[in-house]
Amino acid sequence: MSLRQLLLRLSGYLGASGPPHRPWWCSRSPDTISSVGSWRGRCSRSPAHWNQVVSEAEKIVGYPASFMSLRCLLSDELSNIAMQVRKLVGTQHPLLSTARGLVHDSRHNLQLRGLVVLLISKAAGPSADNSPCQNYDMVSGIYSCQRSLAEITELIHTALLVHRGIVNLSELQSSDGPLKDMQFGNKIAILSGDFLLANACNGLALLQNTKVSELIASALMDLVQGVYQENSASDEEHSITDDIGMSTWKEQTFLSHCALLAKSCQAAMELAKHDAEVQDMAFQYGKHMAMSHKINSDLQPFIKDKTSDSKTFNLNSAPVVLHQEFLGRDVWIRQIGEAQEKGRLNYTKLRETIKAGKGVTSAIDLCRYHGNKALEALESFPPSEARSALENIVFAVTRFS
Amino acid sequence: MALRWWCWRRGCSWRPAVRSPRPGRPGCAGLLGSRAASDTRAQMPYFSLVKTLTSVFPNVHSISQFPQRTPAVCCCSQTQSGEQYTDPFKLGWRDLKGLYEDIRKELCITTKELKDMSEYYFDGKGKAFRPIIVVLMARACNIHHNNSRDMQANQRSVALIAEMIHTASLVHDDVIDDASSRRGKHTVNKIWGEKKAVLAGDLILSAASIVLARIGNTAVTSILTQVIEDLVRGEFLQLGSKENENERFAHYLEKTFKKTASLIANSCKAVSVLSCPDPVVHEIAYQYGKNIGIAFQLIDDVLDFTSCSDQMGKPTSADLKLGLATGPVLFACQQFPEMNAMIMRRFSLPGDVDRARQYVLQSDGVQQTTYLAQQYCHEAVREIRKLRASTERDALIQLSESVLTRDK
Repeated sequence: MSLRQLLLRLSGYLGASGPPHRPWWCSRSPDTISSVGSWRGRCSRSPAHWNQVVSEAEKIVGYPASFMSLRCLLSDELSNIAMQVRKLVGTQHPLLSTARGLVHDSRHNLQLRGLVVLLISKAAGPSADNSPCQNYDMVSGIYSCQRSLAEITELIHTALLVHRGIVNLSELQSSDGPLKDMQFGNKIAILSGDFLLANACNGLALLQNTKVSELIASALMDLVQGVYQENSASDEEHSITDDIGMSTWKEQTFLSHCALLAKSCQAAMELAKHDAEVQDMAFQYGKHMAMSHKINSDLQPFIKDKTSDSKTFNLNSAPVVLHQEFLGRDVWIRQIGEAQEKGRLNYTKLRETIKAGKGVTSAIDLCRYHGNKALEALESFPPSEARSALENIVFAVTRFS
Repeated sequence: MALRWWCWRRGCSWRPAVRSPRPGRPGCAGLLGSRAASDTRAQMPYFSLVKTLTSVFPNVHSISQFPQRTPAVCCCSQTQSGEQYTDPFKLGWRDLKGLYEDIRKELCITTKELKDMSEYYFDGKGKAFRPIIVVLMARACNIHHNNSRDMQANQRSVALIAEMIHTASLVHDDVIDDASSRRGKHTVNKIWGEKKAVLAGDLILSAASIVLARIGNTAVTSILTQVIEDLVRGEFLQLGSKENENERFAHYLEKTFKKTASLIANSCKAVSVLSCPDPVVHEIAYQYGKNIGIAFQLIDDVLDFTSCSDQMGKPTSADLKLGLATGPVLFACQQFPEMNAMIMRRFSLPGDVDRARQYVLQSDGVQQTTYLAQQYCHEAVREIRKLRASTERDALIQLSESVLTRDK
């Protein structure tokens, strides 16, 4: 069975048709960034949409970057999982929407981390000291171990995405449906996540490089801590937000959104035996690019024109935290109080309050700051198609009009 | 050993099976008096057991005479080295002082709550069964290889890794099983909720992976990574069930290997790899670990029926309540085919759990499972005897006995 067929079948099970609604806490690539912005003229073509950037990049790395390895996909466990997830159709367990999102992303090649790892591998090329890598095979300028690493990165990201969707049974309400559905959903979510993690660990072991294993394991540890902190933050839904300043926000965001990509980029360099300087540049690109990507994602509720989108937003996202920092905690608490209606937060009203302040503009500035740092890190790589693609990704992520 | 087996048999409420009437003499005569009756009973229901056992232990004969044979089959402490009868746990703990502190050091976490959660089971109250085996095996292999009385730091790290991987899987299993207590206290999921518990498990696993990578040995990394995969596969095996009776038993043994024995077997193999390059030694270590691990789990399954909750630190009949048909149940089903329907529906109807428990206690499921565990221990001892004599090797032999006689 081909990859495509399997994915189609999976999406059939899950009733996935179009792009699903994603809860705000899922970090996702922006679907479309607003139209033609100014181009910085480093590339011959000017991609207008994110999807275009991605499809250009995929050509450069040699094949569509859909990272569910055949071994993983064709295993008994995965068809077992698919069957079990199917039983969740009709329940309210978050795993269902996570799964739909994953299948959708897979079909539309929106797996960013893996793509970046491949691009940076290609951009760096073989190391000056070529000898250790002579046994590796290279396809489209990328070693097979680096391709493996890209896949491992996506596996880890996906595993934690799945584990984020566990439900606290004691907090369930009658609107959530039967308890046993949630219990079952939890069970499948844990097992699926563990299955993906086990595959990732296996993949790492096969790379036969303990430095890389240590680096990626520490990235996993960072990611888990980051997700944990996110979770704790989102527990306070009503009114009181965490009193976190920007420095704490940056630390938490590094753990939850940047560490994995940054360390994977570094690890890709290590696999090709590049020296510490190159590894550091790759790390910096990964870190800053991921940071600006996250800020961009946080800004979406505030820059989209459609005010009929009365969706909630994260009270610990960049614009909101910045807004709070400018005004001070007391004023912010007061504003939240003013936006309360019958004990529930009116997000539309709060959104307007925030847009009226300086939070949004300074978040845009911060996004561009990190974008620039990412571009700086790229300067040490020789000019190439791959490097341009990485630059284009930064441009796409820092464009707001 | 025989005496303990005897007392234990009296203790359990074993009644003769309904099918074959025999003189109703109480426990005492049961052992010898029922021999004849057991023989006739032996052929039919044990056929799948026979098939499995003879494939696993081609040298074992006359299984049908098991009640008589069992006391003779004793893997007790016939030490060769003539040294003092040392408690293997005390011997192992000499190297494991500070085990839990060291593990806690690896869990360097900024958020206090997450740190507390991750450290929750590393409080020194666990049995530390796996680390003990690991360090004893390390020393036994070192001595076998070149009479070295040292243990490498890396080998001790394997003990840490084994305990961490084990704990991470416990944390996840407790969420999956919705368990409320373990080791005499509340589970992580009950105190902090399921979401955080799952993340804590992931954290411990990642910390274990870091320690593993730091050893810097790719072979060891591959061996112990296999464990992580086996643990997950074992859980998946538990999700499914087999309809055919014979398949069920093989399925049960495979699940037991993946969930319990793989970790012990591969940890033993890992320390042997660090010890010496001889693949014969690696295989011995692996086989010891595998057989001990299966025996350990079989006895655990037995204790779920024979022990009481206080001793175990966790509720009993837990497996039945989860819908799991373990060794004693599968054997009991041979005598009471009415259990088949209950097994297929995973004891989901009200009253199933209690009825099943009664059937098991009335049958000889518990004895059968214990006997099987003995066979695995026997095999483990047979393997480890191939190593050069040493205190640690003998401790490992004694350890197998304690696996059989433990009560929690």
